[in-house]
Amino acid sequence: MAAHPTRRVVLAAALALPLAAASGCGGADVLAAPPHQAPDVTLLRSAITAEQLMIARYGAVLAGSSAAVTSALQPLLAEHRAHLAQLRSRLVVPAGSPAPSQRAPGAPAGVPSGQDAALAYLRDAEQTAAAALLARLPGAPASLAQLFASISASEATHVPVLDQAAAR
Amino acid sequence: MSGGSAASPAATGELQAALAAEHAAVYGYGVVGAYLTGTSRASATSDWLAHQVARDALEAMLRSRGAQPVAAAAGYQLPVVRTTAEAAQLAVTLEDRVATAYLGLVAVSATAIRRFGARQLQASALRAAGWRGSTVAFPGLPASSLAAPRRD
Repeated sequence: MAAHPTRRVVLAAALALPLAAASGCGGADVLAAPPHQAPDVTLLRSAITAEQLMIARYGAVLAGSSAAVTSALQPLLAEHRAHLAQLRSRLVVPAGSPAPSQRAPGAPAGVPSGQDAALAYLRDAEQTAAAALLARLPGAPASLAQLFASISASEATHVPVLDQAAAR
Repeated sequence: MSGGSAASPAATGELQAALAAEHAAVYGYGVVGAYLTGTSRASATSDWLAHQVARDALEAMLRSRGAQPVAAAAGYQLPVVRTTAEAAQLAVTLEDRVATAYLGLVAVSATAIRRFGARQLQASALRAAGWRGSTVAFPGLPASSLAAPRRD
């Protein structure tokens, strides 16, 4: 069932090594094969980046929100922080691979000014994030697929909350 | 295309568990609706119909795999409902049980079943949030399956 992406990569690396050695340039660092990254590590890292971006978006919108909108958004932001913590707890980094960045991405670009536009922006971001997690289900190990599906469902429930906040 | 064996007994077991949860939800929403009026009752009716559609879909999936779908029980042990708040709480409980059953389908390797489970989990989470009046971070996931969050 599981694909074997490693075989082709290893073969390619084996073929590339003599060429790199023959070229005579570079030291041991150049010759060292990059550490293999397990597929679920790749899936987790992209989900972690997506949550960090979502948290940054909420932060940017909250900075210009009224008290009423802030109280509607805070519980949603808290859930995104719980998603991020849970995703990070599943990340087992293989020995020798570069440490993942713990830093959240910077302030997101393109946050619209105006309360309604900002809420619509968050709503679209939630829908996109929920769909992106569902798209990652087929390749994920069972327990990770369950976490992705649950987070996706949570994000889908944020959409009507944001609609209600905009209607107030 | 879709991973896993189509005849996997594990998939059949998870489909049966989801069907059993849907049978209970169909029964339970009948109780929920009886204690509600107006728009709440309309919501209960709409959700009751959604569970019937999901139940029928699960039965068809099981039959297409050559399995006999589990039958509904004659009755279900439900918490006592006397008020509209207790009716809404029962709806939340029914949805939470259904959500957990659908997460079982998400663990199945066959892509079509996994996707179906994820879509139904989302629908259940939306209904539950409506009855609860708030959202949760991990619909369907029991607390025991969540790691204690790291502080960083």
